[in-house]
Amino acid sequence: MPTIDVHQHLWPEPLLAALARRRRPPMIFRRGDGWTLRMHGEGEWPVDPRDHDPDRRAALLDAHDVDRALVALSCPLGIEALPADEAAPLLEAYHAGVAELPARFGAWAAVGLAEPDPDALAGLLDRGFVGACVTADALGEPSAVIALAPVLALLERRGAPLFVHPGPSPYTLLAERPVGAPAWWPAMTRYVASMNAAWHAFAVAGRPAHPGLRVCFAMLAGLAPLQRERLVARGGDPATDPLTFVDTSSYGARAIDATIRELGVDALVHGSDVPVVPGREPALGDAVRAALRDRNPARLLSTATEDVFA
Amino acid sequence: MTHPSLTPLGGFERDLDRAALRRLVGEIAARPELWRPLVTIDAESRRFEQLWRDTHIDVWVISWMHGHDTGFHDHDVSQGAVAVVDGALIEERLVLGGAPLERRHGAGAAFDFDASHVHRMRQDFRGPAVSIHAYSPPLWRMGTYAVAPDGTLRRASISYAEELRPVDAAA
Repeated sequence: MPTIDVHQHLWPEPLLAALARRRRPPMIFRRGDGWTLRMHGEGEWPVDPRDHDPDRRAALLDAHDVDRALVALSCPLGIEALPADEAAPLLEAYHAGVAELPARFGAWAAVGLAEPDPDALAGLLDRGFVGACVTADALGEPSAVIALAPVLALLERRGAPLFVHPGPSPYTLLAERPVGAPAWWPAMTRYVASMNAAWHAFAVAGRPAHPGLRVCFAMLAGLAPLQRERLVARGGDPATDPLTFVDTSSYGARAIDATIRELGVDALVHGSDVPVVPGREPALGDAVRAALRDRNPARLLSTATEDVFA
Repeated sequence: MTHPSLTPLGGFERDLDRAALRRLVGEIAARPELWRPLVTIDAESRRFEQLWRDTHIDVWVISWMHGHDTGFHDHDVSQGAVAVVDGALIEERLVLGGAPLERRHGAGAAFDFDASHVHRMRQDFRGPAVSIHAYSPPLWRMGTYAVAPDGTLRRASISYAEELRPVDAAA
């Protein structure tokens, strides 16, 4: 059974070129010896193109003992949330670029949010994309989940999973990092809140409408599973379901083990968020390691021969 | 969790006590259509199938063959109950300075234990054995015990996955 990392980012050459052609965020531009990324809400970040080199990434997979990595467009860039005519060339560049990656890479299709297009997504699934990545803000309340029903229904019908990753919707694209806030501010505030919102919105409006859709929330869903006692206290339904997963990106042994306590080990998958953060390995024992890296990703991607619940 | 066939057993809105857990495994034992399809015979190792999990309890069907042995362990903060539905199992409780307390549980027997219980389960029956296990709150961490060369007792804290989702389990 292959070891899978369900959450990496790799900007292929056509996407880097398309971002370099832009004159407003999200864009990359030369500054001094290197490249700088400018995006809405996050300010500027240095970009090292070597982080997105497929050969170097393949070597990193070997170093991390990973057979296969699934790459996604970096939602916080806000590409999916741009007006459709601006998003189209960037989405096309991403899809064209990652489709050319070596076989050990798989890719999540990106979904333009100004005009979500299930037909385009169907075409991408036909080309071998494993499922679709949608930004958390685009699923941040029940009505938003309902608005994306055509996309979710297509995934469900095709047996392809949904990956929910922090990032803006067209309505939240222009939110700015507060003055004086450090670089990690959005990742510790907005991302966490938005993943919690998406988790609960999906439970309320997504699961009832799409009972067969497999879904994975990045970053332990912002620790939403640990809010279940509070959910019950406020009158919510704490039901968990065997088709909902969370990935472990940016978290370590304590948060991962706490989430295992709440959801059971079957619900967690290894997602590293390389190269945003270095891939880390929680020291929770060989059985947890095998569940998160081998068995559970196979179930998320529906390549397992049987489900947990026979 | 929504295993539809378990719904008639009642929702679990709070952690169950030992008596309720014992009733639950007894009710499941009496309905072989729930657990019989999950029985897997494997001479190499015990096989585990999760029948139910929610915030408050988890229920497992465990298939055993001759010689299978858990070693001494505890269930950290979880209480539990076991119903033997096929074959027979030996339960041993650790006694300092003496032989373990041994009980044999044949098909139809059930027992329960609190979180302070340290035991070992093994199978020395000729044919396969099958048991239904329920834990509340759901099993999370466990302790495993071994005697060091100097005779001291050592406890290792492990994830429940080491016991119920072992590395070599089939997908």
